[in-house]
Amino acid sequence: MSSSNHNDSLRLPEASVSRREFLVRLGITGALIAGSGLAAKKLWQPKHFVPGFEKEKGLQLRSYAPEISKVLPSLAIAHGTEHEKTIRAAMTALGGMGRFIQKGDVVMIKPNVAFDRPPALAATTHPDALRAVAKLCFEAGAHKVIVADNPINSPTGCFLKSGLTVVASDMNLDLMYPETNSFAPLSLDGEVLKEWTFFNTPFKKATKVIGLAPCKDHNLCHASMTTKNWYGLLGGRRNQFHQYIHSIVSDFALMMKPTLVILDGMNVLMSNGPTGGRLSDVKPMNTIVAGTDMIAVDAYGYSHLLERDIAELTYLHKAHDRGLGNINWKDTLYKEVTV
Amino acid sequence: MAIEKKSGTGNRRQFVRTQVPLAERVASVIIVVLLAGIGIVIAVKGKHFNPDLFAVRTDSLKSTAAAVEGKAGTAPAGPEAKPAAENSTAEKPAAEEGSAEGGAESSTAVPKPVVKGEPLEISLPGIQPMSDTEFYSADNLFEKIDGRAPAYQNYNVQQLRCRSFNIVAAAGSYVDVYEYRFDSPVDAFGMFALERDPKGQPLDFAPDGYSGEMGYFFRQGAVYVQIIASDVKPETLALTKAIAQNRAKELPADDSGLAGRRKLPAAGMIADSVSFVPENAQGQSDFKDVFQAKYNFDGAELPFFIMVAAPGDATKAWKSFQDFCARFGKVGILPDVNGGKMFSAQVFGKWKVVYQRDGELGGVFDAADETKAQAFVEKYLRGEIK
Repeated sequence: MSSSNHNDSLRLPEASVSRREFLVRLGITGALIAGSGLAAKKLWQPKHFVPGFEKEKGLQLRSYAPEISKVLPSLAIAHGTEHEKTIRAAMTALGGMGRFIQKGDVVMIKPNVAFDRPPALAATTHPDALRAVAKLCFEAGAHKVIVADNPINSPTGCFLKSGLTVVASDMNLDLMYPETNSFAPLSLDGEVLKEWTFFNTPFKKATKVIGLAPCKDHNLCHASMTTKNWYGLLGGRRNQFHQYIHSIVSDFALMMKPTLVILDGMNVLMSNGPTGGRLSDVKPMNTIVAGTDMIAVDAYGYSHLLERDIAELTYLHKAHDRGLGNINWKDTLYKEVTV
Repeated sequence: MAIEKKSGTGNRRQFVRTQVPLAERVASVIIVVLLAGIGIVIAVKGKHFNPDLFAVRTDSLKSTAAAVEGKAGTAPAGPEAKPAAENSTAEKPAAEEGSAEGGAESSTAVPKPVVKGEPLEISLPGIQPMSDTEFYSADNLFEKIDGRAPAYQNYNVQQLRCRSFNIVAAAGSYVDVYEYRFDSPVDAFGMFALERDPKGQPLDFAPDGYSGEMGYFFRQGAVYVQIIASDVKPETLALTKAIAQNRAKELPADDSGLAGRRKLPAAGMIADSVSFVPENAQGQSDFKDVFQAKYNFDGAELPFFIMVAAPGDATKAWKSFQDFCARFGKVGILPDVNGGKMFSAQVFGKWKVVYQRDGELGGVFDAADETKAQAFVEKYLRGEIK
């Protein structure tokens, strides 16, 4: 038997690899695993609401609410024909904007700009209302006013057609459109709202928060007013909440503790809401309601502006029962004025 | 032990592994465990349905339900296969032509049906598109109209096609064009009727339509069209009307299933009171595709309904309704009028006078005065109210 034959029997099969090849393959495999892991982490989106889904702790909004006053009203109702005069009268009745906004404050105004509708159709916050509130904020010493909303459909189109882009431009307001990186997970111990993506960027800078909502009919939850307005801060496929609409809207009273809410009832969308589309759906009610308790504000709006029976507005009752506001607005300290 | 050199390696010593070091074995085990771990995590997480990531495309299922043309076993194309309501469209009385709300919608030039995904192009002087055409299906309609979407889904909306147009002569003014395509003309009519403006003015170019202060709203075929102006400037309103006329002309007319609508008499009809109830009209499961309207008659306001179906179905529904009324009130059989059999009933203090003639079922309901209700139905059956 020759030595070469002996060597042949000792030789490893053709599949054997060199040290160099082994290290290269190890590196490639490691990189693939690391890449797969990173990709899976990036693609995985646990920050949404699915019943029974495990929780992930997200941010919790701080309260922007002012101190409770035993002397000054918490609710003001002003009747007038012009936005600025009527809003100013409502704020004066509450003790003036200076009660809520101090020098140097960065104020975030949350309008309802859910649709690309013209202002006359009353489906969105009226530009004159935004102009008046922003003006009052600056007069009170606000350093900056941010305007932010998350319309599902084309934010630029919605802000443009609703007339708010022009106001923001005229008054040098900081118009914040939702971007991909504008959202952060929110944690809340709500009835249905537990974990969800939230339009967080404006709140990183804001020291005060004002909700400025139109008063309108809503196909699913009867009415969209100051409480429902916060829906526009949610991200993701938020239409999933439509089946729990009253629960989710009542959760907003837990989620947001704003400095102030203002309900624009100058022109009310009485039917075919929330989009409307016809001037005949709109009724001039010439009223502004402002206050620190969004449930009380909405209770007035539903009964006196939409002229409906408050007993049917489930989400207000849910919020009231959970101690998140007072549906009996007449039991609060309120003031009614006419311009 | 000599080791055979591979060719091309020069003087470099050929490396042959005779044993695998412990570190490599450990690394291999770690890799295998990691791969298994990733697989397990994917399997476990995958069991949790995440609606945020997945949605059913109902469009993809339609191929399983649609009839295949040219193959046996699918829906026959003959007239006997059509619903009775559709067949009866050919029997439209001449007197109804050109009525304020009903009447013929056929045009001499037959426009092409809109292809799904086809941009909304309007060739009119004085307007410019503001943006691309937007398309929404029933599944993502909420992205455009949010909480209003379920109302449209209730009437089987298929698609929204919309686009905005600048008014060249009026800076800052624009017109929004919304075309909601439904499963059928009946569905489109149902949604149109639901949102009807009672103060709207009838249109001469779209029988099921009206104009408001800032827009035009009409049904054309299976499409519910909304043309909404941004303001009431004369230039804006003029072009809003021109766009509405353009859409009425370009979209194909189709009144399939609206036979009942055509049979509603025009005389005495209260403007824009027509409504459509697809199912369970009058609380009756047999009452389907019912059209209703209110009429001024002899000083009274009378709600009147009509359903067109196969004669057998109409007879069954008439009898069923009679039994229902007998359970909750008093029923009296009235003499036949011009081939129509009738009964009257007093239920919960209100009067109903209901007739059936061939495949047509209808009558006055919720009337305060039996005599007027009966007189109205008799005049209708004799052709004296058209």
